[in-house]
Amino acid sequence: MTAPAADEDDEALAARAAAGEEPAFEELVSRYQGRVYRLACRLTADEGDAKDVLQETFLAAYRGLPAFRGDSRFSTWLYRIATNAALMQRRARARRPTESLEVFLPRFDADGVHAAEPPELRAASRADELLDRKLLAEKARAGLDRLPDIYREAFVLRDLEEMTTREVAELLGIDAAAVRQRVHRARLMLRGYLSDLVGVKP
Amino acid sequence: MKARIACVDGVEMLMDYLEGTLPPPDREAIEAHVSGCPRCVAFIESYRQTPHILRAATAAALPEDLARSLRRFLASRR
Repeated sequence: MTAPAADEDDEALAARAAAGEEPAFEELVSRYQGRVYRLACRLTADEGDAKDVLQETFLAAYRGLPAFRGDSRFSTWLYRIATNAALMQRRARARRPTESLEVFLPRFDADGVHAAEPPELRAASRADELLDRKLLAEKARAGLDRLPDIYREAFVLRDLEEMTTREVAELLGIDAAAVRQRVHRARLMLRGYLSDLVGVKP
Repeated sequence: MKARIACVDGVEMLMDYLEGTLPPPDREAIEAHVSGCPRCVAFIESYRQTPHILRAATAAALPEDLARSLRRFLASRR
């Protein structure tokens, strides 16, 4: 048993961890604990839930490692566990019904022309300049929370965790066109939501 | 795809356009429309900016005490 090297790849570490080498598992935890926590916060919109998801994810990974075949990257496999754990956590928690973000989709006139004028259409891109950082963080979390589950997952993985469309498709078990459709829908809603936050009709 | 499109058609195809998965005729139709449409230029700017703003606003860091409690939790279950 050799100590894990900093440049050793995840899949090699996973193989060693699966064979019972604890230091290899520890190294994987060190590498991914921050990313899994951030993902969990984005998916659950709650720090307490994110803590539970973090623990569940690494426990499930530890137990599931012997079955990890290396067909996908370790990170994709781990993110799939975390995404499912977050979904379970959300379902377990009784949530107040929230108003759908559909109201923030862009509006068009009868000829299919944007209903708003350019300055209004552009306003969302300045949300980070116009709003206090703390308020924006709070509202961003609330906005993600209001997305339907399938849009939130696709958007968080693709746009916030910056996975490729192909990786997200593999992780969610859907095709790339469906990933793009879900991410697009989420972007449209959140863009309108940001407009609304800065006081402009989307 | 028709040669001339409206804003609503461009918005519908925007993600595919930005990912480079649109067939050339659709791609050209979007470009032709946007080049003469200040509304779409403004819309696309905010559409592209949206993921960046949300990414920065939700970039939570793992607190030290949580990292420690994760270690304890895993040690207790192995």
